[in-house]
Amino acid sequence: MKTTKTTNRRKFLVTAGLGSAGAVAAVVAGTRKAQPEGPHTAACPQPDGYHLSEHILKYYKTTEV
Amino acid sequence: MSAEAAAAPVAIHRALAPEEAARADFYALVARLLQRAPDAMLLAELAAAPALPADGDRALADAWRELAAASAAAQPAGVAVEYDELFAGVGKAPVSIYAGFYSGAPAVDHPRVRIRGDLAQLGLAPQAGTEPEDHFGVIFDAMRVLAAGGAGRGPASLAEQRRFFERHVMPAAPRFLAAVGAARQSHYYRRVAALAAAFVALETESFQLD
Repeated sequence: MKTTKTTNRRKFLVTAGLGSAGAVAAVVAGTRKAQPEGPHTAACPQPDGYHLSEHILKYYKTTEV
Repeated sequence: MSAEAAAAPVAIHRALAPEEAARADFYALVARLLQRAPDAMLLAELAAAPALPADGDRALADAWRELAAASAAAQPAGVAVEYDELFAGVGKAPVSIYAGFYSGAPAVDHPRVRIRGDLAQLGLAPQAGTEPEDHFGVIFDAMRVLAAGGAGRGPASLAEQRRFFERHVMPAAPRFLAAVGAARQSHYYRRVAALAAAFVALETESFQLD
């Protein structure tokens, strides 16, 4: 029965300690103040092709003569 | 009541269960640590964080405690250098932070393309200027959004979360985290990898229960 399965998963997570993992929440709340949202946004038309990432820019720096 | 008001969708916000919120927090933290090295504020928050319940998952609690201890001893500049040495490097990085490296990355149907398609189906897309879709920081952040909602959408169903996890986290994350743990350049990030691996193992088991 679906309800029983959901309860089992929930019980597993709670027993693992995730039901009272306020320590992680506190740390994440601190990071949210600095960066309110992660790298995801609602889907919208994306420009075609690749963009310059931080890693690529760093690589370009290494090629400068 | 106007016709417009009558037709407007009604948004119902249900509070997340504590364990689901905690999952989202773990995903958020791992994603943040993989996107870039922690700054002084994050190191201080981690250093001051209380322990996880001792009667919970042992591997997760141990990894959390060790990450807190490492955060207390770390200097932001030193961890930033370690991050660059591990994941950027000059030429080939010692550890690839892209899922495609671990899952074969054929020229056709590259994991990046599959992730982009699956994210679009879930109403998500990486913001312009962020890393490619198969960057583990992006993948873990996607799981954060699916678990808790965000970026303009609510939490995904458990079936959707499991599908994304099994398609994009499971095939590559364990090998990536093992590589981080084994790299000689890895000191602080060895602890990050241990925490992420313990959490991914927990998620893997929990998804099998439903």
